[in-house]
Amino acid sequence: MIEIIVNGKRTTIPNGLNIKETIKALDYKGKGFAVALNGTFIALATYETTMVRDNDSIEILAPVQGG
Amino acid sequence: MTKHIETEIDSWEIGGKTLQSRLLIGSALYPSPANMEEAIKISGAQIVTVSLRRQAAGEGGGNAFWEIIRSLGIDVLPNTAGSHSAKEAITTAQMAREVFGTNWIKLEVIGDQYTLQPDPFETVKAAEVLIKEGFEVFPYTTDDLVVAKRLADVGCKIIMPWGSMIGSGKGLMNPDNLLAIRKQFPNLQLVVDAGIGKPSHATQAMELGYDGVLLNSAIALAQDPVKMADAFRTAVEAGRLGYEAGMMQEREFASPSTPTVGTPFWHQFS
Repeated sequence: MIEIIVNGKRTTIPNGLNIKETIKALDYKGKGFAVALNGTFIALATYETTMVRDNDSIEILAPVQGG
Repeated sequence: MTKHIETEIDSWEIGGKTLQSRLLIGSALYPSPANMEEAIKISGAQIVTVSLRRQAAGEGGGNAFWEIIRSLGIDVLPNTAGSHSAKEAITTAQMAREVFGTNWIKLEVIGDQYTLQPDPFETVKAAEVLIKEGFEVFPYTTDDLVVAKRLADVGCKIIMPWGSMIGSGKGLMNPDNLLAIRKQFPNLQLVVDAGIGKPSHATQAMELGYDGVLLNSAIALAQDPVKMADAFRTAVEAGRLGYEAGMMQEREFASPSTPTVGTPFWHQFS
């Protein structure tokens, strides 16, 4: 297991997962969100080729109201 | 209602789109989603601002808010609200492009947490990167002419100076500054963004020759947001018509409007 930060909160996931697998392991569903890894945007097309490592920080953002 | 004179349908271009409404509306702070939907419809706005925030695990990707906005069939303008650096704003913009399916971005980089005043240095830096990446950048900035120049220099075709602090409702703090930007950039699309509190503020911005007005709190926090949305729709139209009609020059002294020839009981003072 490795420790990562997801939306500001520490959690653990199995080692060796890519972004797509990480999202599934974290129980995120659907497609209406976007992902950043360590402050860098990760495009949907690169989820499977981007690996998540120990101490990585992930942001998962979805649409909300805005001004 | 008195029927106004027949004029050509006013239209303008921004971000590659031709629009009839010059009111850009926010989607936050309404009493309810239904109220937001009705207010946006009544406002006639064809651009609505949206944002991105952290999503909790276990939630579906779609959400009720986004479904309502999509059902309106108008253009969305995602913002980078909450960003405090060019890097954060750039990443948020890239994420917004994927989620909302648009290259439009309302660039907000906050430099002071108390006034929510934009950071001009980071805003210009982010704008330059985003434009190179193919974004249509709608930068939120102060009413500083030099900052506007820098934004234009890096390729911004739209500039959105504040009227006053976000959510303050204070109106146009420095109309002379806004006018100076308008005069300096006759060919850029200029939108007053933030600080509008009353319909008359929106009218004033349009009378200055601004191409549009972006606001949220003034409508959403009104006692009756739907009625206020209607008020802003007409206020923006009035201001634009006034600008196009050409306003009289201010004068230093009184000048009678009633003809003086044949004034009754008149006699020459000795």
